Amino acid sequence: MRTERVHSLLQVNGEARDLLAPVPTTLLEALRDSFELTGSKRGCNHGVCGACTVLIDGRPARACLMLAVDVGDRPVVTIEGIADANGLSAVQRALVASGAIQCGFCTPGFVMSLTDLFSRDPRPSREAIRTALSGNLCRCSGYVKIVEAAERLAGLPAGPSEPSGPEATHG
Amino acid sequence: MNYVAPETLEAAYRALQADEAVCLAGGQSLVAMMNLGLAAPKQLVSLRRLAALRGLSEQLDGGLRIGAMTTHAELAGLDPKAAGPALIARTARLVAYPAIRSRGTIGGSVALADPSADYPVALQAADASIEIGGPDGSRRVDARDFFRGLFETALNPGEIVIAVHLPPGPAGAGAAYEKLSLVAGDFAIVSVAAIGRETVDLAVGGCGPTPILLAGVAAETDALLAAGRALAASCNPPGDHRASAAYRRRVLPELIRRAGLAARHGVAP
Repeated sequence: MRTERVHSLLQVNGEARDLLAPVPTTLLEALRDSFELTGSKRGCNHGVCGACTVLIDGRPARACLMLAVDVGDRPVVTIEGIADANGLSAVQRALVASGAIQCGFCTPGFVMSLTDLFSRDPRPSREAIRTALSGNLCRCSGYVKIVEAAERLAGLPAGPSEPSGPEATHG
Repeated sequence: MNYVAPETLEAAYRALQADEAVCLAGGQSLVAMMNLGLAAPKQLVSLRRLAALRGLSEQLDGGLRIGAMTTHAELAGLDPKAAGPALIARTARLVAYPAIRSRGTIGGSVALADPSADYPVALQAADASIEIGGPDGSRRVDARDFFRGLFETALNPGEIVIAVHLPPGPAGAGAAYEKLSLVAGDFAIVSVAAIGRETVDLAVGGCGPTPILLAGVAAETDALLAAGRALAASCNPPGDHRASAAYRRRVLPELIRRAGLAARHGVAP
């Protein structure tokens, strides 16, 4: 494979960013290695785990399945670009409030998937929340708290999102 | 590796004449294969600027022409009345995950012809046709003739999938897509598409290198199960990390029953 490099001009978190990189360079590699935006994580690198989820043109996308050169003028938003004036977004605050974090590696991807969901529907159903998160894997298996956080943010009444086990009945 | 993003079909056809040139549509399979070291084309021809590959146009008969660069998310958002287009919309909702659906395209999926993919199954059941363009003009190939083998299609080198044409389906017909997978969004272990009313046309995915067509089956439990058992006995499904061949044979009749009855009763899956 030749290592000839091509020039791309990307719009990332509202800023124009220049890139000179070989054609096979993914958006994820550009973000992490060239722009030092390391919030998007490289998990599986073939589209299954969701840890690299960003928004392209306002829709969720896998940064690892997008060639940087093919992004064109479509705006990219990463986990670094969603904070409001308080330093965190509403989705991030909801995850913190519910303790929806274990090792944290998958968290940026979950945040971006929920950011997309809540931007289109501020009061999603339980089913819509689960569908929105269906493409994000948490290898700590900490899904319950993540779903709880999203349900609280959606204003849904607290309910058993999983069948309650014996420990739940002892009060 | 070279990259071009032509703005006209003529320029795209010229770019595809280059040695080891391939089309880049949504990239949701090709870039994954490049990342895994399974593909290293010498020239990528991005289709993203080609207006000719975009857009949906409803036909007077209730059918639908789908531009090849239409994403799964766009199709999933449709709610068509006619059974043929409805089958594709329902199928699109079960393709992979939201972040894949927002970028992956029907043209890319059709051209790749993955034996576990969802659209090839639905397109055969719906008797769709594939519009193909090339330097010598365009042609249409029935979906039932288009998928030739494992990742093999009727496309010749240098040709591009331009659009997919969905006929409306029989009057009053319903449609259903039954997909069995390990987790939501994974490739199917077995999937069945059905369209019809008293009799249904079915297509089965995951049980061979290409979808298998079962045309004109009575949409009744006994007939559907019998057709399913006969197919399970005669087909040669793969065994892989998702399921054994025996498991695929075991679940096939029930999935055919569910799809056939759901189509008959017009029930959304």
